[in-house]
Formats: sequence, structure tokens, C-alpha cells
Amino acid sequence: MKVLSFGRAAAVLTVGMLALTGCGGNASSSSTSTAAGSSPAGSTAAAATDYSSLSGTITAGGSSAQANAQAAWAAGFKAQASKVTINYDKSQGSGGGVTNFTAGSYDFAGSDAYLTADQAAKAQELCGPGGAINLPVYLDGVAVIFNLPGVDKLQLSAETIAKIFSQQIKTWDDAAIKADNPGVTLPSTAITTVTRSDGSGTTQNFTNYLHQVAPAVWTDPVSNKWPVAGSSAQQGGSGVVNTVKAGEGTIGYADHSAIGDLKAAAIKAGDAYVSFSADAVTKAVEAAVTPAANAKEGDLAQDIDYTKLTSANAYPIPLISYDILCTTFKDPAQAKLTAAYIGYIASEQGQKIAAKNAGSAPLPAELAAKIQESLKKVS
Amino acid sequence: MSAFPATAHRSSAAVRARPADRIFRLLSTAAAVSIMVILAGVALFLILRAVPAIAANWTSEADLKSGVTGGFPSFWSYVAPLAFGTVWASLIALILATPVAIGIALFISHYSPRRLATFLGYIIDLLAAVPSVVFGLWGILVMRPFLLPMQEWLNTYLGWIPMFSGSVTSTGSSILTGAVVLAVMVLPIITSISREVFLQTPKLHEEAALALGATRWEMVRLTVFPYARSGVVSAVLLGLGRALGETMAVAMIISPAIITSFRVLTEGENSQTIASNIALNFPIATGLQRDALIGTGLVLFVISLAVNMVARLVISRKPRQRRRPTGDDGGKATAAPDPADVLAASDARVSPVSVLHPESVSK
Amino acid sequence: MSAAASTVARPAGRNRYSTGSLPRRINLYTLPGSFILAAAVMGLLGFNWFGLAAFTALIYLAAISGLSLVVENRRRAMDRFIRGLVTSAFLLALLPLVSTLWTVVSKGIGVLSWEFIGTSGGGTTINPDTLELVTSSGALQAIVGTLEITGLATLFSVPIGLLTAIYLVEYAAPTHWLRRTVNFLVDVMTGIPSIVAGLFAFSLFTLILGPKAFSGLSAAVALSVLMIPTVVRSCEEMLRLVPADLREAAYALGVTKFVTIVKVVIPTAIAGIATGITLAIARVIGETAPIFMAASFTDAFNGNPLAGPMQTLPVMAYTGYKFPGQDIALSNSQAWGAALLLVLLVVVLNLVARIIAAIFAPKTSR
Repeated sequence: MKVLSFGRAAAVLTVGMLALTGCGGNASSSSTSTAAGSSPAGSTAAAATDYSSLSGTITAGGSSAQANAQAAWAAGFKAQASKVTINYDKSQGSGGGVTNFTAGSYDFAGSDAYLTADQAAKAQELCGPGGAINLPVYLDGVAVIFNLPGVDKLQLSAETIAKIFSQQIKTWDDAAIKADNPGVTLPSTAITTVTRSDGSGTTQNFTNYLHQVAPAVWTDPVSNKWPVAGSSAQQGGSGVVNTVKAGEGTIGYADHSAIGDLKAAAIKAGDAYVSFSADAVTKAVEAAVTPAANAKEGDLAQDIDYTKLTSANAYPIPLISYDILCTTFKDPAQAKLTAAYIGYIASEQGQKIAAKNAGSAPLPAELAAKIQESLKKVS
Repeated sequence: MSAFPATAHRSSAAVRARPADRIFRLLSTAAAVSIMVILAGVALFLILRAVPAIAANWTSEADLKSGVTGGFPSFWSYVAPLAFGTVWASLIALILATPVAIGIALFISHYSPRRLATFLGYIIDLLAAVPSVVFGLWGILVMRPFLLPMQEWLNTYLGWIPMFSGSVTSTGSSILTGAVVLAVMVLPIITSISREVFLQTPKLHEEAALALGATRWEMVRLTVFPYARSGVVSAVLLGLGRALGETMAVAMIISPAIITSFRVLTEGENSQTIASNIALNFPIATGLQRDALIGTGLVLFVISLAVNMVARLVISRKPRQRRRPTGDDGGKATAAPDPADVLAASDARVSPVSVLHPESVSK
Repeated sequence: MSAAASTVARPAGRNRYSTGSLPRRINLYTLPGSFILAAAVMGLLGFNWFGLAAFTALIYLAAISGLSLVVENRRRAMDRFIRGLVTSAFLLALLPLVSTLWTVVSKGIGVLSWEFIGTSGGGTTINPDTLELVTSSGALQAIVGTLEITGLATLFSVPIGLLTAIYLVEYAAPTHWLRRTVNFLVDVMTGIPSIVAGLFAFSLFTLILGPKAFSGLSAAVALSVLMIPTVVRSCEEMLRLVPADLREAAYALGVTKFVTIVKVVIPTAIAGIATGITLAIARVIGETAPIFMAASFTDAFNGNPLAGPMQTLPVMAYTGYKFPGQDIALSNSQAWGAALLLVLLVVVLNLVARIIAAIFAPKTSR
């Protein structure tokens, strides 16, 4: 135990030591930070904001869907605020991120789902009466990817997807798939569904979509762990993508930003089949979200009503990932720093960087403005 | 071997104890006691974390009702299929690995050119040096496509055997693929221990058999096998212990479902192993879910403990009395291979003895 | 065929013990013959290297035992069959070894460079004009992490392991309850699954430090749990190899027990002890699951084992595959690069162990 108490003291000392050796990336106590400048989180024209006077360390983690975007945001923010270090731990997943956040060790958590009532209660113990706020900062779509030699374009309705993924349709030339794809010759290849073997926010969103839009076919629960037996379950989004790519007659789901050069199906919305595009995701979020029922003031947790997505310009399976932070920090300087960073994320430039480097979809302007509003109350 | 520490102990009384002596004695005793403390710590922390999840009501607790642990009425119903999958995958791996490992051990100890024996042993030990994550990557990239045609063949022609039934995998992520990779991983363990045991067959017995006109195989069958039987059994059990705890390669290769299924060629009906399940779900698990996963880790601990204990028990058992030289229970001819040597071989994987004394291998 | 001819042409004067034997160089005929037949079979079924090897082995086994059965006798045939079988078993085991090493080397060699070894990942910067990321890719953080974590684990395990071995060999009476218990517990400890060791370290450190307790130290504790039993057993074995005469000679000169152990017993056994420890390090250095649980991972450089996630080579290989960055191909190739570095490190450690053994091999052998 002696070693450990020494460790705590040494952790503080090493901040300086590491600076000397020129090595960043020490996720140690963030209480040493100081925010010298005024809060920039006021305007949506964030590019004009001056972050250069900020300094300190932000420790965060969670959703691996956001990971690539967080890497880009950290680099973008650092380019303007060189004295700030941002550690985003993507190994934790949404669950680990929220757990660590409610225990007080993260400045913010990245999560593919907003806090449940239980988690919100725990967060309130940490953050005071204001509780924690969920800010939707990262938009993407769940892509239905496939590898079927000879077929380049595939159109699928929610019912068909539900039938395929609940193992009711076994071959590619099934009548349901044919009906979605008039004029396309489909081989009689057997279908192999590829899903996630590890718990995942993508699975949560995807099963939620099937549950809402095709309730007659999809009778399995909504879960972050794939609920149906009979699929090829692979580890991580990359495992799914690699397996779909390597197989023949495979179909799977993954965050669109992670699918590489694989083909994704156009999903039926209303009467049209909509392909993924960043713009279509933004439109979908504009159209389908309603503030969550128990949202506090400033909390931007959104419920997605997938059944509302019937227009031809909205992608039917959008995915929202949140950054979750306290309304009241124990250390006001840390609050300023974190709010500035998340303000940067939600800014026009932040969203552009993420779109360019992580393939995400930009936030709708209205939502982005609301995020900046909410951040003003963080102290 | 046990005679000499006793001597040492007695003579220590004769030598007058000085402060440095007392301190050193105290230190080494403390180190021995610390082993007890560490092990108790491992068990205690796992139990402390696991008990809330085991005791919780899985149908009403919000944390446990959905997500990683969703759909299971109790801890035991969650862990049972996992425990089955762990044992099942390891058993298949052992069935594949054991004959090959014994063959290799025999080749190195009794068939290969003597000058090459040490070197050949080292080559097999190299397999033990490959980290499991590398085996995982290799399994995905090489073994999955490689074994696919064979699995389709087995399913087509032997599909009437329940094990090989079901809809065959199209990507290769079946238990069989995982088990083949596991077999490769346990191979060096079984081989190195079996080799040590084979080499300890009394030279006189072997020469006697040869002098009587036995062929090399008859000599092996009559002198080496009866002598080495318990050693080989424990080697296999120690290999089983290793296979049970293997995590990364399994997590990366097998497409799992938490079900109890004997099928080995399918994609959607593979039983999941405990270690792989922990690795896959620990990051996203929250609250009690994490405790539940730690609870499954405790179960794994108990299973591999049991296997290891049986292995040690077999090793330390006195060899059975033999009545007929040719029979299964022959005359009182052989002493057991010294347990300490066999164990050392198993623990260090590559026995320092064989490193230091090549002549003991290339007899 | 030629075998049959040779038996017919056998000189009349040879004694009965060598009658009916196949010529010594029979394998010169049967092996290539089997190979050609196997190649023909492959031509019919479609070519594949493994099939070629498997059919060669099968045809050879059938041919050699068939020939021997005809020319020699059933016992000899069995003997030749078994000889062929165990040799094939050995060759079969070489396949995965060669395949693994080849895969790792061929996939990893392209990434491996001094730059890969010498720079740290995670130093991502952004081009302000195009808003494009420039990712620095390297394995320095993983190499440093691996060395620090295994170094710490060695630091914890060797004193405990060596002293325990000294207790077991030099101090404890054979029937003492503590000796029997510790002996038993070391056996138990050998069987701890690596992921359980990781869970233990994780639980221990979260209990003490709160939920974000990832650190190199925590991983080192996990590895120590796996390493201690290995160290105890190999040290114990080496200490036992030291002849009792040496100790008794020392005692006879009035040397105290402590001095005898430190100046006589340990120096005699030091080569074996060093070898055993090196092999124990080689064993734990490739562990992935416990380190991933206890130290998490990070792309950024963290040289401080007392706080914050640390990257290691096995975890880098794993996460490069599981959590790829935006450039998936780049992440995967880095995973292979890390895997290759790791395999090299383990092979070097094994070689070092053997060199230590060769140089310091004790004059006295048992």
C-alpha cells in the first residue's frame, strides 16, 4: 500500500516530469488545470473563439463510435489551445464511460445512449442538483453492409431486414428481398448474418430501429448485446466489417463511418429507398428526435422515433452519440475548460473536422445552437 | 531428493544463528507466507465482487435485466452455458492435440536422431512462445479460410453425427476453428511434459526389451508407456487447464452465443467460453453486470483449479504395481517419475533442466 | 517393388535375423513415390499444399507398412508404421509454427522500421487549412509500456519467488505444514487463468483507487500473480540441483546458513535461476487479457506506470485489430507490426535464456 500512496504523489509530480521529457498523454489528476481565459462557449461562430489562453487536462472516455471523431477534435482543439491535453479512452465503451463518469473520474463521458433514470440519479449525487446533461455531439448512421458477388446495389425494407436478422429468411433469392429489388437478379446463395459478439451501442440502436419499425417481425428485445442466435457474431465493428468482406452472401450492420469500401444497402423509408449520406442523417435527426421524457433543463437527450422517418431525404437508421457532463463541476476552471472543448466539438469547425476525418454527419444547426446554450450553464 | 533438505534443516540447528541468519530466515518464510496471502487475495477480491451479482434478483434488478446479462433468470443460468462452452471447446482442443503431442514427444525422445533431439524440442517449445493474441490474428487470417472446406465436407458427409450437424459456417468462425487454434496452443505443454516423462523411463528396461528382440515400437509400448502413463495423463490435464483459461484467441475467432450446444461447425450455435465472454463484454458492462462477469471469472477459477488439482494428484500418485511384464499391471519394476521434475517442466514450459543438461534430453 | 526384388536376390549366406528385411534405404524410394502419387491425387482433387502433405504422409504410411507386412512381418510393419506416424506428428506440428511465424513476419515486416520503433503513436496533429489529420504512427509507447510492466512484474515476482524457493528448499522441514501448504498453493497458482489474474488486479485497484484505476502497476500486479509460481518452481528445481556436499562443506567450516545460501548455494545455481526467470518473463510478456483489463490501452505515450492507461505490445496488436482508427488498413498493419515486435522480443528472451544456460552451465551435473 505504501507503493500506492507514493503513486498518488508521484502522479502529480510526473506531470512536470513528463513535460520535461516532452511526452504528453499522462491521464493523471486533472485538478492541476487552470483556465486563464474567459469562457468561449458563448457563440456558435466558434471558429472565431480564442482558446489559446486555456490550459489543463481533460480526462474522458467511453463510446468507441466517437473515438475517431474524438481523436480529430482533440487534434483540432490542440491546434488552437496548445496548453490543453485531452485524453479520450476509447477502450471503455459506452458502459465503462458512464460508470467512470458517475464515479467522478471523467470530466465527460462519451456514450451511445443517454443516461438511464438510475444513472441520472447516480450522476446527480456527483454533480449536485443540476445533475448531468446529455449533449448529442456525434451523428452517424447504422449501415446495413453486405457482400454478394454480382450484386452492387441492394434495397431493403425494415421488415425484410428484420426477417433477415431474425433468421426467418435464409437465402438471397427470397421473395421478400426480390420484392424490394425489382429487376435485380439475386443468387440463391445462403444468407449469413454478421453481428457483434461484444456489447455495443450500435447493436442497441439497430435493434431499437427494428423494434420500432418492424414490430410484427422483430419480437426480440432491444439490447446492446445481440439477442438472436444463429448469426456469425464477431468482435468489434471491425470484426463485423472484416467478416462481411471475407464472406460470400454475408450481411451485417456497422457504424457507417467504419465500413471502409464495403457496399451498404439503401433502406426503405416511406415509399423511397434512401442511401446513406451525411446530409440524410442530419435531416433524419432533424425530423425524428423529440426531447427525452425526463430531460432536465439544458439536457438534450433525444428519443428517436424511427417511424417518423418516411421522407426520401432522411436516412432511416440515424445514430446519435452523446457527450455527458455535469452542470456543476467541483472545480470551476475545469468546468470552463471542458465546456470550451465540447463547445468546440459542437461548433461548425468541430463538426467539419469530424465529418472529414471520422465520416460523421454534421449536427442540425438548431441542435448545435441548443448545445451552446446548454454549455453556458455549465459552471 | 527430500533427504537433503532434511539434512540441511538439521544442520541449521547445529550452526549458531546470527541476526543476519534470523532475518534471512524470516524473510524467506515471509515470502512463502505471501504466496498464501496473494492467493487468498485473488479469491477474496473475486468473491467480494461476485457475491452481489450472485445474490441479486436477475429478473428485477435494472442492471441485470437487459444488455450483457439480459434474458437470464439467475446467475447460475447465465454461467452454466458459459461453463459448458469453456469445457466443451477445451475438450475438443485436447482431443485434437493429445495424439499429436504424444507422437511428437515420442518422436523427440525415442525416434529422432539423438543429436537433433534438443533442437527439435526447442522448435516445439517455440510454439509456446507465440503470444495468444498473435494466434488470434493468425486464426482469423489463416485458419478460418483454411479450415472452411474441411468443415463444409464434414457437415455434408458426416452431418448425421449431432456434433457436425446444423447449418455449416460460411466464414469459419466455428468452435472447431477455435479448437484447432487452441490445440496448437496446448500442444507444446503436453509435448514438453510427456517428453520429460518418456525420457525418464529407466534405460535398463528399454535395453532389456530391445535385447529380447522387441522392435522399437514394442519397446515403447512395453516399457515407456506403462511407466509414463500417469505423467502423460497429468500433462493432458495441465494442457486442459491452459485451454480453459485461454481468452484472446477464442474471443477473436469463435462467433459465440450463450447457449448450450454440442455443434462444432455452425456459426450461430457456438457455445461461448467464460474467458472470452468476459473479454468481450467487460468494457460495456455497467454496475452489477461487471460483478456478474467477475462472478463468471470466479467459476472459471474454480473449474481450472479442479482440473489442476486432479492433474497434480495423478502425478503424485504412486505407480500401480505391475504383475506381468507385458500386461497393463506389471511387476514392481519402476519408480514414478519424480513429481518435482515433471511439475517443473510444466511450469517453466521449457524446463531449465533440459536447457542446462542437454544430455538429459538427447540421452 | 525394388524391395521385393532385393529380397529375392538376398545372398544365401545371411543369418536368419536379417532375413526378410527391407533395404536400409527404402525411404529413398517410398517417400518420392508417395509424393508423386499424392501430387497426382491433388491433380484430380484440386491443388492445395496441405492436401499434398497430408496425402504424401498417408500414402507413405500405407506403402511402408504394406511393404513391410509383405516382405518382413507384422511386428516390423507395425514398428515402421508407428515410426512414420510419430514423424508425421512432428511435421504436422511444424505447420502451424511455420504458418504463424510466416504470417507475422510477412505482415509485420513492412511496418517495422526504426521510425516505427522510435516514435510514439497518438501524436495526432491537424492541418488547419484542409482540416485533415496527420497521424503519427509508432510503437514506442507500447515498447516502453511492455518493458516497464514486465520489468515491474519481474521486480515483484523474483524476490518473492526466489525467497519462497529458498524457504522450501533450505529452511522448511519436509513435513512442516507451511511447506506442504505453500507447495500446494504454488500448484494452485499455476492454474490461475490469466484473465482471472486481470480481474483480480482490476478489482484490487478499483477498490483502492476508485473506478479509473488503470495503471501499469496494476498490470504488473496481474502479471506477477501469473509469474510467481513459475519463478518459484524453476528456482526450487535449481536450488535442489546444488549438491548437499557443498552446503555441508560450508557448514563444516563454520559458515552460517545465511552466508552459505548467499555465497555458495545461489552462485552455484545462478545460471539455472537466471534461465528460469528469463523464461518466466518470456511467458508473461505476451499476455494480453490481464494487461488489457488492468492497464487498458492508449495510443498516447505514458511512461509513468503509476497512473493512467499504458500501452503494451500485445494489447497494441489486439486493439489495432479491434479498435482501428479511421484508416483501418493502417491500424491493422500496425497491429501486425506490434505482433512481430512481440514475437521477436519473446524469441530473443528465449535465446538469452539459452545463452545464459550455455555460458554459466554448472560444472557439476546431476
